[in-house]
Amino acid sequence: MKEIKIKTKDLTLYYGSKMALNSISVEIPQNQVTALIGPSGCGKSTFLRTLNRMNDLIPNVRITGEVLVDNFNIYDKNVDSVNLRKKVGMVFQKSNPFAKSIFENVAYGPRINGVNDKKKLTEIVETSLQRAAIWDEVKDRMHDSALGLSGGQQQRLCIARTMAVDPEIILMDEPASALDPISTSKIEELIFNLKENYTIIIVTHNMQQAARVSDHTAFFYMGELVEFGKTKKIFTVPVKKQTEDYITGRFG
Amino acid sequence: MERHFELELEKLKKRVLKMGNLVAMQIHLTMVALVTCDVEAAAEIIETDNAVDELDVKIDKLCQRIFALTQPVATDLRLIMASLKINNDLERMGDHAVDIAKKIEGLADYKDVLVELQIGELAELTDTLVKDVMSIMNTRNLSFIRDIYSDAAVIRKKVQIISEKIIELMTQKSDVLAVATSLMIILTQIERIAGYSFNIAESIYFVVEGKMVKHEKGFWDQSETTP
Repeated sequence: MKEIKIKTKDLTLYYGSKMALNSISVEIPQNQVTALIGPSGCGKSTFLRTLNRMNDLIPNVRITGEVLVDNFNIYDKNVDSVNLRKKVGMVFQKSNPFAKSIFENVAYGPRINGVNDKKKLTEIVETSLQRAAIWDEVKDRMHDSALGLSGGQQQRLCIARTMAVDPEIILMDEPASALDPISTSKIEELIFNLKENYTIIIVTHNMQQAARVSDHTAFFYMGELVEFGKTKKIFTVPVKKQTEDYITGRFG
Repeated sequence: MERHFELELEKLKKRVLKMGNLVAMQIHLTMVALVTCDVEAAAEIIETDNAVDELDVKIDKLCQRIFALTQPVATDLRLIMASLKINNDLERMGDHAVDIAKKIEGLADYKDVLVELQIGELAELTDTLVKDVMSIMNTRNLSFIRDIYSDAAVIRKKVQIISEKIIELMTQKSDVLAVATSLMIILTQIERIAGYSFNIAESIYFVVEGKMVKHEKGFWDQSETTP
């Protein structure tokens, strides 16, 4: 049994008067991939963003309940959200490299965190690119613009950039939805391999992707967590009818 | 997209049921022909094998297509997995019926031996078992599944008893050696038909309940749960 990395207790979130998450209590295991699935507007991305307090940036958001990372409530007054986001990194649907060189994209995070030694920075950049399975493709053009990379390469670069600040948890919001099948397959393989060192939570609309990459799956519907369990069980014998209807495409 | 997928699944269900009805009819006619030693009926049964084989391939191809194009999960996945297995079991049952039919000609002069061995009773039990399994396939009503398990066990027991009688008969009458050997083979075929029938019932249980219970020794003897 894996240790629990993230635990939410009665997590409820409102956008103004609209309840977007209704009393979510879940335990996310360490060094595993957890997929969040559900129809658009079900709350899965909102839930993902509560895990590194990205929702703090949205006006009129009200959150109750707790999100414990390593048994520490990240919504505690004393928590510095910048430090939190170093520990809980995020990769977005659309790759968003800076208009800088490949090297600078990855070096940016460590540098603003005080790493200025060139040798150390080079080491971090190389390790991050290797972990993101893109090193071989970019090692000879480290000082070229990141914007010249393909969509799939840009996304892996963004994953490398996320890893460069040494997070423990990586949140991924539909990281492969804009990529072709080959790039998608590389990202999926990467996700699978990364779990050795990181706890990964991924939002995806692609059922087969959730089934392929994740160890656990959480099905959200209308702001509620309908079912959470091992992916192999959810995709073969789900307990709840709503889950069954959703994953078999009979929803609504 | 969704409707198209539903139509494909419906087509699969219909084809498997058609295969089931075809094989059940083959077995019914075989059991009747066995008891009456009807050589003409036996020849017709042998002819039907082609239709079963054709349908077998059609079902396999349909399953392959659904797997490749729709990546089914949960209940749909179970249905397709079970359809493949049931199809295979039915095809084997059909083959056994044909193998029995091929031996009927050699039994024509030994009707008295068949009566003495109570082959008629065994044939009737087998026919009923297969019909009951078809009924479960059609309705997915699992309340009779334990009866099917018991009926298959009765057939196995009866086959054992008749086999012992045949061995006894062989020691007493040397002129029955050929027919006795044929009957021993027929008994094996009937026992296998009963075995495949129960496999099909277990596959239906897997589709409905999501539990794979094959090879779980004692499950149907001891399980308290009403399937």
